[in-house]
Amino acid sequence: MKDIPKVTGTPINRIDGIAKVTGKAPYSMDHPVKNPAYAILIKSTIASGKIQEIDATAAEKAPGVIAIITHQNAPKLNVKGGLRGGALLQSPEIEFFGQHIGIVVAETFEQARYASRLITVTYDKKEPKVDFDNLADQARLPKDKEKADARRGDVQKALSQATYKVEEVYETPIEHHHPMEPHATIAEWNGDHVTLYNSAQIVNGAQTATAATLNLKPEQVRIVSPYIGGGFGSKGGQWANLALAAVAAKYVNRPVKLALTRQQMVNSVGLRQHNRQKISLAATADGKLTALVHETTTHCAINDEFIEPCGDCSKVMYDTPNSLITYRVVPMNLILPTYTRGPGKSTGSFALESAMDELAYKLKMDPIAFRIKNEPDRDPSNGKPWSSRAMVQCLQEGAKAFGWENRKFEPRQNQQGNYWVGYGVAAGTYPAHQRPTSALVKLKRTGDHVAATVELAAADLGTGTYTILTQTAADALGLPIQNVNVIIGDSDLPPAAGAVGSVGAASYANAVNDACVKLTQELVTKSGKQFFVRPTAAQLMRSEKITDFQTRVDSKPPERAEDYSSHSFNANFAEVAVNKSTGMIRVNRFLAVTGAGTILNPKTARSQIIGGNVWGIGMALTEESVVDPRWGNFVTRSLADYHVPTNLDIGQLDAIFINEKDEHVNTLGVKGIGEVGIVAVAAAVANAVFNATGKRVRELPITPDKVL
Amino acid sequence: MDEHESPELTEEEKQLFADLMPDDLAEIMNTGVNRRHFLKLLTLAGGGILAAQSAVAERVLTRPSRETLPVELAPSSLENGVDIGLKVNGKAHKLTIDSRMTLLDTLRERLNLTGSKKGCDHGQCGACTVIVNGSRVLSCLTLAASCEGKTVQTIEGLAQGNRLHPMQEAFLKHDGFQCGFCTPGQICSAVALLDEAKKGHTSYVTGNVRQPGGPVKLSNEEIRERMSGNICRCGAYPNIVAAIQEVHSGKPVEQVFRSA
Amino acid sequence: MRAFTYTRAKDATSAIKLLAENPNAKFLAGGTNLLDLMKEDVERPNALIDISELDLSEIKPIINGANQGGISLGGLGKNTDSANHLLVRQHYPLLSQAILAGASGQIRNMATNGGNLLQRTRCPYFYEVAMPCNKREPGTGCGAREGINRMHAIFGWSEHCVAVYPSDMAVALTALDATVIVRSANGQQRSIPIADFYRLPGNEPEKDTNLMHGELITAIELPKNRFAEQSYYLKVRDRASYAFALVSVAAALEIEGNTIKQARIAMGGVAHKPWRALKAEQILVGKEATEATFKRAANAEMADAKPLTHNAFKVELGNRSIVLALQMAVNGGKA
Repeated sequence: MKDIPKVTGTPINRIDGIAKVTGKAPYSMDHPVKNPAYAILIKSTIASGKIQEIDATAAEKAPGVIAIITHQNAPKLNVKGGLRGGALLQSPEIEFFGQHIGIVVAETFEQARYASRLITVTYDKKEPKVDFDNLADQARLPKDKEKADARRGDVQKALSQATYKVEEVYETPIEHHHPMEPHATIAEWNGDHVTLYNSAQIVNGAQTATAATLNLKPEQVRIVSPYIGGGFGSKGGQWANLALAAVAAKYVNRPVKLALTRQQMVNSVGLRQHNRQKISLAATADGKLTALVHETTTHCAINDEFIEPCGDCSKVMYDTPNSLITYRVVPMNLILPTYTRGPGKSTGSFALESAMDELAYKLKMDPIAFRIKNEPDRDPSNGKPWSSRAMVQCLQEGAKAFGWENRKFEPRQNQQGNYWVGYGVAAGTYPAHQRPTSALVKLKRTGDHVAATVELAAADLGTGTYTILTQTAADALGLPIQNVNVIIGDSDLPPAAGAVGSVGAASYANAVNDACVKLTQELVTKSGKQFFVRPTAAQLMRSEKITDFQTRVDSKPPERAEDYSSHSFNANFAEVAVNKSTGMIRVNRFLAVTGAGTILNPKTARSQIIGGNVWGIGMALTEESVVDPRWGNFVTRSLADYHVPTNLDIGQLDAIFINEKDEHVNTLGVKGIGEVGIVAVAAAVANAVFNATGKRVRELPITPDKVL
Repeated sequence: MDEHESPELTEEEKQLFADLMPDDLAEIMNTGVNRRHFLKLLTLAGGGILAAQSAVAERVLTRPSRETLPVELAPSSLENGVDIGLKVNGKAHKLTIDSRMTLLDTLRERLNLTGSKKGCDHGQCGACTVIVNGSRVLSCLTLAASCEGKTVQTIEGLAQGNRLHPMQEAFLKHDGFQCGFCTPGQICSAVALLDEAKKGHTSYVTGNVRQPGGPVKLSNEEIRERMSGNICRCGAYPNIVAAIQEVHSGKPVEQVFRSA
Repeated sequence: MRAFTYTRAKDATSAIKLLAENPNAKFLAGGTNLLDLMKEDVERPNALIDISELDLSEIKPIINGANQGGISLGGLGKNTDSANHLLVRQHYPLLSQAILAGASGQIRNMATNGGNLLQRTRCPYFYEVAMPCNKREPGTGCGAREGINRMHAIFGWSEHCVAVYPSDMAVALTALDATVIVRSANGQQRSIPIADFYRLPGNEPEKDTNLMHGELITAIELPKNRFAEQSYYLKVRDRASYAFALVSVAAALEIEGNTIKQARIAMGGVAHKPWRALKAEQILVGKEATEATFKRAANAEMADAKPLTHNAFKVELGNRSIVLALQMAVNGGKA
């Protein structure tokens, strides 16, 4: 029998694609349950204070209403169980506008929605702390030790001595994830066990946090999440709505469907916080950086801290003898911020890479040459060697492919009709990690036909997990892909890392590969034979006439990975056209050249990168969540007010991957690409807007009014 | 500037492919994978990849449908009940619904057709797009009560048996989605959009709307504008445009996977 | 959403009668804005009278009366059909463009001409019932006046309301001097010039239009004009498509030689109603169609603007947009 050709690295179509294009892929609310009741959350209409009274008389009498649950009758939950953002109906205290204060459960969705409007609440109001502009100077040192001041050398001295420097403040607004699938749960109890159909980027994390919150053992909670309608960080940590669905189902003793409305998304499942970042750069006349200071001021929840690491890129991107990275934070009456695509890196890089562009312009240097000049040969933050770093290659290949030589150094030199056209570049990075993950591989033989089932509690939120694991297992077992069935997204399966922070592909694919290698070895041992050329598992199943065989592995990153600093890197190129009259901006072309180690599937990888680019273009041009400082509510609470990019906002996007073999990062050399795609996009666009118009916009998003 | 020109295969190449893998010729002809890469793939794969993909198709499409009988509710759950009869994906349904019930919730909660998605419930995302009497509409802003006697086509009704609709195939090939949640709405929207083009409909990016009607050939920019009512948060827009252009133009649109 | 009775209207007469009998009843046509608002609990009708199937969707030439030589759009015609009808495309391309600049393909397939005119503001304070809003609940105050008002009015607002009117179609209709034809319960028909159809907020921001309860928009009439060659609808927004206007301009010119014989300019996104730029029009008439003239006209119009805390940019943007729209109109859609 001839060898099966390898499929890893080839652009096969998405394995789950057919289920998706036919509408058969079941997302949270698509799972069939018998006789469900429908729940709607009730939310506070103040940002700070205490509930005095909840009058639910009218709602209780409304047709079809089965239960109304508030802090007065909710079961005791563990507020430190690991769900994010509080709002578990445990007290009358209000910490942010739109905090959950109750649940209405009714026979139908229409009845629940109607009844939820009949509830009146009286409050003891306190003045909310929501105006970041006024509160920023009260910001304090973070509690998080990783956000302590990180200092190398003497930045003050370097800055005071430098002729060429940039000291500017860059603002990024609050943003929301707004995955297309709003967070939703179907809760179904069976005795003291509950099954929760609920999108989860971290399946096991959702299980343990919910169990702890509900005062249950993890094995009493099952999370089922085979398909996730987008997450982008908001479905990483889970939020109160997940536990409250279980509470409601228990209360009414039947399955309950609880979906957040789109409007409720703005204050239910986290946000990316407003960051005020001051960057100070100093350089010698020939373009060698002498100081880099990145000072971030931001906000967190009133009683809980989360700070996205805006200074991370500044730690690793450039070689400079003097560096200072700081964070200050002010608690506010808004929901807890959380991980949002490219957390810290995308916002931080907007500041850093804009400042680099500003300094290059002052130095009269090409911004690519300026970056290459300051390329570090080791990780400046810890002195470790890079496991691989294709930054320079990304910049050079990108310049060639994009036609960078056509860029004018001076702004306002490229006029096309009623448009100013400009080019911008920015460099991005995101750390690469493999996290512990278990995988179970089962082989079954019928005659000559060998089929594999691969099981692990991994997540696919459109990232391509099903596809790359099918490819990985097929190659590692010697099977064609149609004989491999990957089952993920269920906490009953072997525990796995989350699909967060670009660790998914590395963690899952290495675990599956490890399991397949282990299984093959066990089959060899079982055969008692010696082989000159090692047979595949599939061949062994046939030659040894084994009908069923399985093995499980608990996979960990290689120990030596710690000796290296591992990151994906990319160079981003934008061409924008700015309408001279109206200030409307269009990104005509965008190119990302990425060094991310082994690319398991060029088709899904390209999609990940261009998807990150679209996010970045939204961040650069359209996305902003606005708080009314008087009441603490979001005035941008719908998709009509919060502008994510439409199809027409997106021009031509191209992705190039550097053929990079990273032998240190992990066995398969996979670095991850989910996050790096967004990281430097906003800066590339902002730099292109400067090149087009001469206008330096340091406050995102760059809406038409800012370039008039 | 952004149109990846589709590579027409030469006669020699067609012959080569036909010799190598006669069964998959049609597939190859429809797959705009860059030629050189495809040749490499062929040598490596000997046809296994395409065969495997169709095997997966078989597996999903023959999976027993979750469609069951319409969910009947106790009369107490109905307020202002309205009797309606409508045809969904060729099948007639008669049911009594709460006057407040949208077409989207009727499809999902009463007819077990969960392909259409609730992304915003306010007409701001397009995930609930279905085709009613031949026009794409938002089922979240359509009262089921107003659908008496109407014909509704949803994502579940596009494939013919095990055969995908060309638009579904093109989305699959061009990876016109990531998470897949907006996909049913995107595909329904795209299918109806092609009919609008045939009818000569114009758009805001059409240079001169005064030009007389008749079928129009859509540029990628036209497709972008006409698909702007379908938000894709994963950012698959360029792939969605490629998929629609391929079906609209009837010519394969090349997929380019670049490395350096 | 409150419970409501649903009635499928058999004909216009009975539909109007049903509505007139119940002050809390509403017509349902396309439903794209009404259902949106009902889900938000902003609109709370207890009865919906579905008029969507009534025979009031025809687009036809007007053969007699004041608007002879013009065209009539049925009140229940779909926006898509109006935008694509050859009579509209040929003779009123400005209207086609304006309709197509609004919403999305799906929404235009649902929304009707009459319904489009009756869209309510997208002011976020109007939409969120926890917020004060004099338009939604008279006497509660205006949330936007001292709040977040980047999207709000720069012309004609009052201390009671600073909302802007959202439709694009109506901006073009205003420029084109359309007439709204309505029928009331007593069988009377009345013609309302579009300039009198909309209102400024004044002390009664709860009233968007001068339509009375029980009246049904049966048609919209467009007079014959000579603007088809030189018109343009410019929409400036925060993203490329599927967004409400920051500022929009409907511009139409009749030029003889190089002299402007007639000019029509209306603006969207700047006031509680489509804002007819009469001052700009006056300056243009009789002048040469040059950029300098356009700038003078734009300056004259925008000089009266009264921006709020966050929307001063609309003055400059409106100014530039008038100039650009006029240039585009003259150059057949090219800047």
